[in-house]
Amino acid sequence: MKTRVILFLLLAAVGVSTAWLLLRDGDTDAPTARILRDGVLLEEIDLDQVDEPRSLVLEDESGSNTVTVEKGRICILEADCPDQICVNQGWISDSTVPIVCLPHKLMIEIVSGGGALDGGAG
Amino acid sequence: MKKRLLCALLALSLLTLPGCKRDPEPVEVTAFAMDTVIQLTAYDGNTGGTRAFLGELTARLAELDSQLSATREDSFVYAVNHAGGEWVEVPDSTVFALLHDALSLCETTGGALDITAYPAVKAWGFTGEEHRVPSPAELETLAEKIDYTAVALSDWAGERHRGGAALPQGMEMDLGAVAKGFAGDLLAGEVRDVGITSALLDLGQSTIVAVGSKPQGTPWRIGVVDPARPGSYFAVVELEDCAMGTSGGYQRYFEQDGITYWHILDPDTAAPARSGLVSVTVVSPCALTCDGLSTALFVMGLEDGAQFWQDHPELDFEVIFVTETGEIYRTAGLEGRFSLAEGYEDREVKVLE
Repeated sequence: MKTRVILFLLLAAVGVSTAWLLLRDGDTDAPTARILRDGVLLEEIDLDQVDEPRSLVLEDESGSNTVTVEKGRICILEADCPDQICVNQGWISDSTVPIVCLPHKLMIEIVSGGGALDGGAG
Repeated sequence: MKKRLLCALLALSLLTLPGCKRDPEPVEVTAFAMDTVIQLTAYDGNTGGTRAFLGELTARLAELDSQLSATREDSFVYAVNHAGGEWVEVPDSTVFALLHDALSLCETTGGALDITAYPAVKAWGFTGEEHRVPSPAELETLAEKIDYTAVALSDWAGERHRGGAALPQGMEMDLGAVAKGFAGDLLAGEVRDVGITSALLDLGQSTIVAVGSKPQGTPWRIGVVDPARPGSYFAVVELEDCAMGTSGGYQRYFEQDGITYWHILDPDTAAPARSGLVSVTVVSPCALTCDGLSTALFVMGLEDGAQFWQDHPELDFEVIFVTETGEIYRTAGLEGRFSLAEGYEDREVKVLE
């Protein structure tokens, strides 16, 4: 009888820890866009929860960027920076490479959401 | 007996469970320096200590940047550019090493890489000013002033007899094509010195340095941007204690009257390099080689670039070329480390032997 109880407890322990490990891996799936200026977080958007496309205008003394979000992706639609690199980059939907507007020190990165790559070159 | 076996198995599985614990949390630090965003990621048990260490590294980068910036009036490079031909003392051995290595890479590439193209870069407005297309006559004058052999650099003989550098009046240099690579090697060295065995140093995507492998022991997987669709990656390169650098016409450009002008200039013409290539990726253990050669090979074009690769095995590098017509070429040494990305599996890759 005693062995049975111990066995049951052991089985339960294994089950619980397995489930916990698996679930912990699973909860990183929702892609979240983080918008930062000079390292300071301005906005955090759960991209799966965006049903209607919307835009937000981010301004400071360096200039203005218009950010557009759709379900699962984000881009900088317009900016008054001289190089337009952030606009030209277009949409991002995974964590591989952030959008950066260097003149305005603005960065949009996507955290989690998988993405099989560790980085991007180019 | 059965029960004992079962108990033993269960005990064993409990013991092995901690083995599948997740990897150490990454410590990430982001900084703006060298006209780009620098992201340093390290995996190490000691999170607090690692964060402080990465912070120190970004401070070192900022310090190096303050000497190398062509626009900051208190920088060493600015001083050389505005000394009217007079000698300027090199501030420290790190800057001296960078200048020395950069000039030697200019020489090796036969001037396809030239650190004195700065007046032309300015004329085209690629330094942040208004973009403009200089006239042919202006370009001719600018091209005449691009000549790395005119950079004078005296030997470094220790702190008490620092070297000096000088440039003829009217010429200006800019270390932008090599500084990130040099910094990548410098930082990777420091990361290794403190015993971190897994880190990814991203110096604005154009230069990436992998220290060791991922914490699980597998190589870092880095995407290479599709020049035709800069939001996607056409290939994946696996890195382990290795660096890579990409130069592409899509990185900085402007359009005027239907023509695209990009920031990679041909030192011979002072105009955007039209060699038939749209992107060059160099993979090498040395980040400086990756950074400098990706620019130089872009200027050389496919044929000369492939020849250069064959002629210089001592530089220990491999290349991925993409042509204007979308053809992909890679050198043989990337076998096993190169693969086409998802959605690009049907593209043909020509292997250069």
